[in-house]
Amino acid sequence: RDLCSRGIRLAGKMRSDVIDLLDTYVEQQGLDASASVAAVEGVPMAAVERWDELTGTQRLLENLMAYRAFRALLAQMLEEQQEQLGEADAALGQALTAVLLQVSAFIYHLEELLRLESRGPPSEEGTGPPPASHLGLFERKLRGLGVLRELAQWAVRSARDLRQLSRTSPGSSSAPSPADSP
Amino acid sequence: KNLRCVTHNLQKMICAWDVSFKGRHGQTDFCYTTDDFPLPVCFKTKEKRIEIAVPESSTTVTITTNSISGTTLATKGFEIHKKDISFVPLTPRILSLTPDFSTSTLNLKWSDNGSVFLSGLDAFWQIQILRKEAMEKVTQVTYYSKLTHEDTILSWNWTSDMPLECTSHYVKIRCYINVTQFAGPKDWSDWSPVEEVPGKDTEPDGSGVFPQDTVVAVGSDVTICCVHEEGQQIQRMTYGPEIYPLIHLSSRSSAIRVLNASASDASGTNVVCTLSETEMDGTVLFVGYAPDIPQNLSCETSNFLIIKCTWKPGRPSGLYGKRRTKYSLFERISGKNISCEVNEMNRERVCGFPVLPDQKTYNFTLGVSNPVGQTESSILVDLTQRVRPKTPEKLTVSGNSSTSVHLRWFINGSFAELRLLCQIEISSGHSEQKLHNVSIPGGKYSTYTAHLNMLHPYTKYQFRVRCSTADHFWKWSDWSRVEEHTTWEA
Repeated sequence: RDLCSRGIRLAGKMRSDVIDLLDTYVEQQGLDASASVAAVEGVPMAAVERWDELTGTQRLLENLMAYRAFRALLAQMLEEQQEQLGEADAALGQALTAVLLQVSAFIYHLEELLRLESRGPPSEEGTGPPPASHLGLFERKLRGLGVLRELAQWAVRSARDLRQLSRTSPGSSSAPSPADSP
Repeated sequence: KNLRCVTHNLQKMICAWDVSFKGRHGQTDFCYTTDDFPLPVCFKTKEKRIEIAVPESSTTVTITTNSISGTTLATKGFEIHKKDISFVPLTPRILSLTPDFSTSTLNLKWSDNGSVFLSGLDAFWQIQILRKEAMEKVTQVTYYSKLTHEDTILSWNWTSDMPLECTSHYVKIRCYINVTQFAGPKDWSDWSPVEEVPGKDTEPDGSGVFPQDTVVAVGSDVTICCVHEEGQQIQRMTYGPEIYPLIHLSSRSSAIRVLNASASDASGTNVVCTLSETEMDGTVLFVGYAPDIPQNLSCETSNFLIIKCTWKPGRPSGLYGKRRTKYSLFERISGKNISCEVNEMNRERVCGFPVLPDQKTYNFTLGVSNPVGQTESSILVDLTQRVRPKTPEKLTVSGNSSTSVHLRWFINGSFAELRLLCQIEISSGHSEQKLHNVSIPGGKYSTYTAHLNMLHPYTKYQFRVRCSTADHFWKWSDWSRVEEHTTWEA
């Protein structure tokens, strides 16, 4: 339960940092905050049907896959930002780095939880992000927007998943309530 | 009737005529004599045109039209003088039309057919550029060349004001050869067949916004187009926050024209083509300045290992990351070229160049370039006159009498072939500061010493030292740390 509550706090912090980063990103990239962005290739959607029916392990695994994908995508965004802007916008680079570190920390956290589930986290091979070099700069800007939006959604879902996990883990009393589905 | 003769090469001419008997005539007898060849030369032909030599001055022609059965229908004589013969060059042949999409430039190559003519003739080529579905004329240019009695391939470049991807571009060419001594009328050739460079709006999956992620100079006029699928409609095109009027190019392509573009942000100016609420395409335009000529270029060495060149960059280019302004230092005497790692955010720029063995004079050219332009600045340096030693270190002061002290310090650097001028600052509480200069032979990573006397006994002094070169002073080093010492009692 303690790992879950620490995870929930980490997800909450990550979400607020991602929201701040989103604002910085939109402004710095000259984007329209309301721009509609297609789903980002390589990232599972946070929204899920029959959220209630997921087992604890499924929740952890889905979270882990998603955040591993985000870690790779954020690293790619950071690299692109360095290539495109150099030192021109260190603030965005630092904000991206901070969120990337939190995602890495959260991945470690999820892996710890999975070890407790006695099954352990799956290996990482083959989880690299789809290459972006063929995309034009504007498409990459939009893609970055999509990544950060989806990450913010996942942070919300992760908090709920962990809350749900802490309820249904041994020794907890209450059953899952529909109100908790994302 | 209407006999008319045209020459394409001033050697041969093609004579053509009309026949009144619609459809009921057979072969034609064509005979001609020239003043330098009085015997008639005759041909039988079914055509109504024939190729014969261009006469020196005039030709007498007799044309007899026969019926199908061979009976003579009509005979007519013509006198053709040189002034009656038209000269129309052959239609030029376009050899290639090559697009360079990165620079929106078309390269046209064609043959001038010079071998047909004597050399030295002036030739004028009219080149027409057309565009869009309606093949509207964009421009017409006259290009001049001199024929050389050989077939020469001529080449000409044209830079479009819009990306070549936006819509198809077409080129055709015709020529006029100024044969001053030719008596007859001279005219332009026919236009060549049109050569086409298809736009992306002709390709099945050619959609996109063009130019893609390009760099232009501040103040440029830029055309940006949106190529979309057949049947789609562009709702709007924005450049940064502004909606721009659309210019129709074809059923799958429209453009906007941005005039006098202003500098973009670091991440560029987004150009967005909105096709529906959920579908948009876009590109990023980077608008920046060409690099300024570097100001105050100066080079010096502090240790005879590295030459440090510094300069003021002038106006920021507004371009960052991989589009930033890049610097390289080229030394002409050694031929060595160094690319400089420069942090675009700090004002002063620095570049290091290794001191080369046995080379005292350096002829530097600092090359500066970014995608908008390039410039350079040069400086000739006699290194021995541009020495600014490193800060003296490990200053120690030891007393050897009540009125004198011994100073020792170390300077990191190799000054073996130089004399150093060092300045010792002497301060004490109750007398004003004094400066003592001492000239010392330079050494290699050496410790230097100096002796001071005429000090007051039992007095606390503060000493510090700085050095420069004795011959050809350039700059003092920074001051060393202060070292305190009290002279012995008398």
